[in-house]
Amino acid sequence: MTATTVIQSIVLSILVAGLIATIASGISLVLGVTRIVNFAHGEFVMLGAYLTYWLYVLYGISPYVSALISFVAIGFLSYIVFRVFLYRVLQAEHHNQLLATFGLSILLTNLAMLIFTPNLRSMSVEMLPTYKIGAIIIPGNFLFVGIMGMVCYLLLIYLVSRTSYGMMMRMTSSHSELAQYSGVNVFRAYGLSFVIGGAFAGAAGSMLAVLFYIHPSVGLELGIKSFAVVVASGIGSIPGAILGALIVSLAEGMVSTFLPSGASWAYGVGFLILMFILIFKPTGILGKKH
Amino acid sequence: MMERQSVLQMGWLARSWVSYLIVLLCGGLLALYGDPFYVQITLGITILTILAISWDILARTGQISFGTAAFFGIGAYSTAILHVYLGVIGSWLIGIILAIIIALLFGRALLKLQGMYFAITTFAFSLALPVVALVLSPITGGAAGITPYVFWGGNRRLQLLMCILFLIFAMIISDWFLQLRLRVAAFLIRSHPELAFSSGIPVVKTKIITFGVSGGLAALAGALYGGLYGFIVPEDAFNPLWSVLPFAIALLGGVDSTLGPIIGGVVLRILEEKTKDLIGSYGYQLVVGAVIILCITLMPDGILGLLKRIVRQCTNLWKKS
Repeated sequence: MTATTVIQSIVLSILVAGLIATIASGISLVLGVTRIVNFAHGEFVMLGAYLTYWLYVLYGISPYVSALISFVAIGFLSYIVFRVFLYRVLQAEHHNQLLATFGLSILLTNLAMLIFTPNLRSMSVEMLPTYKIGAIIIPGNFLFVGIMGMVCYLLLIYLVSRTSYGMMMRMTSSHSELAQYSGVNVFRAYGLSFVIGGAFAGAAGSMLAVLFYIHPSVGLELGIKSFAVVVASGIGSIPGAILGALIVSLAEGMVSTFLPSGASWAYGVGFLILMFILIFKPTGILGKKH
Repeated sequence: MMERQSVLQMGWLARSWVSYLIVLLCGGLLALYGDPFYVQITLGITILTILAISWDILARTGQISFGTAAFFGIGAYSTAILHVYLGVIGSWLIGIILAIIIALLFGRALLKLQGMYFAITTFAFSLALPVVALVLSPITGGAAGITPYVFWGGNRRLQLLMCILFLIFAMIISDWFLQLRLRVAAFLIRSHPELAFSSGIPVVKTKIITFGVSGGLAALAGALYGGLYGFIVPEDAFNPLWSVLPFAIALLGGVDSTLGPIIGGVVLRILEEKTKDLIGSYGYQLVVGAVIILCITLMPDGILGLLKRIVRQCTNLWKKS
């Protein structure tokens, strides 16, 4: 356990946090504005990952480009899902909303199993070069995730805080009735937040595709972890999302690198930390009470 | 005073014993004379229905758990681990009591969480527990698993009879919680908690006790599961499917009832088998997702609610004529 290995592990964990932060920010946005927990968000990520995979395998398209394509495609898909299905759920009771999106998640996961088969797939990206800073090795795909994650995160912050659409969404998020009386089309704010959240999920899928194995259930575990990050760091708090992502990613990275056979149960450590955060501060680290 | 108490208790029992008898007869006949394939399927249905009842009891108080698998696994593991030291009956008694204690503590810890926070924490709990099982591998056998005692030497028919008896036990507990006063209390707690509180209902105590009972029932199902096949591994015992299928079953059959989960358990399994024939051996569980979505958007009261509405329409038409 030398200084180099510690730094190496930290660097890689921070880069991976970009993936979780993107997913978590998307969830946080949707959650903050619509108050709907979209359990199927992970499945949008999964679909983005498959899209990136097939674009690369069939047409040799670079993940940097596919991230943009996924962004648009999955954003469009989530718009369709919203119009067809979710606006109905908006009127249902709260606990039914949770169950409904969970049902959607199961539906999408199994559809993917049916269409893509459950075989594990992985992208070998020779086109992403590896860099070396001193003794620290940064593989190209980790760098991609770090860069993309940062770009997505900054883009999201810009969208939310500097555009009029962002203002619309923030007003709906903090007080939807008041927003409505102020002339905000709340329904459009809901749809917008959903589309943006879905678009970022698609981009996150590209990041996932270059980093991990791709299979139909990949959305489930990543999705629930991102949810736990969002909830533990405070709903609707996009800065909180990156904080939570960093905590979880660093914890997992440390455990899997330095504890014997830690890799097999590192993912559980993240959940344990998040669970304890929730038990002791139910509104999350940076959350506001509402 | 004593007589009034017993008359009240007799009230719900008098209404429900017919359902217990029907389940006993159907299950018993199937166990003794049915085709082995159906015996096997019904074993699965029984375990899932007990879990669905456990979920429903908790859901009545507004605590929508996504972590039923957690206590399922706790039940399976605790009885398996203790079996070496305490024998079958001892391990079941102590194991389930242990699970109830954990459930009471956990329910107490989660009191401040509502809605989605509660859902995510329970789900995270069920996903964190297999890690605990892996880490404590000297006790739990780690990834290689643990081999609990197999009931009746693996005779599926006798095992099914045993499971049917425990299912009826779960039904009795569910009906007990559906007694008028308790049912109204649960309804108030889930929809108007402040009103419940100011009506003098002990909200905190009720929620914690409900959590304990629900966890205990789930643990019972887990112990049963362990006793069927004699092999428990973390990914199997804490598989999220044990959290998802129970609420799909309860939704489909009808929440806030005892017969609902029973109907849902049977119907969902039939749907699964039919879909498996159509689609193949993977991906067929999309029917579960579809069922959940359809029930929430079109049939919030489940099949039971649908039947009740049909019966009411028919009796209204008959009364008019």
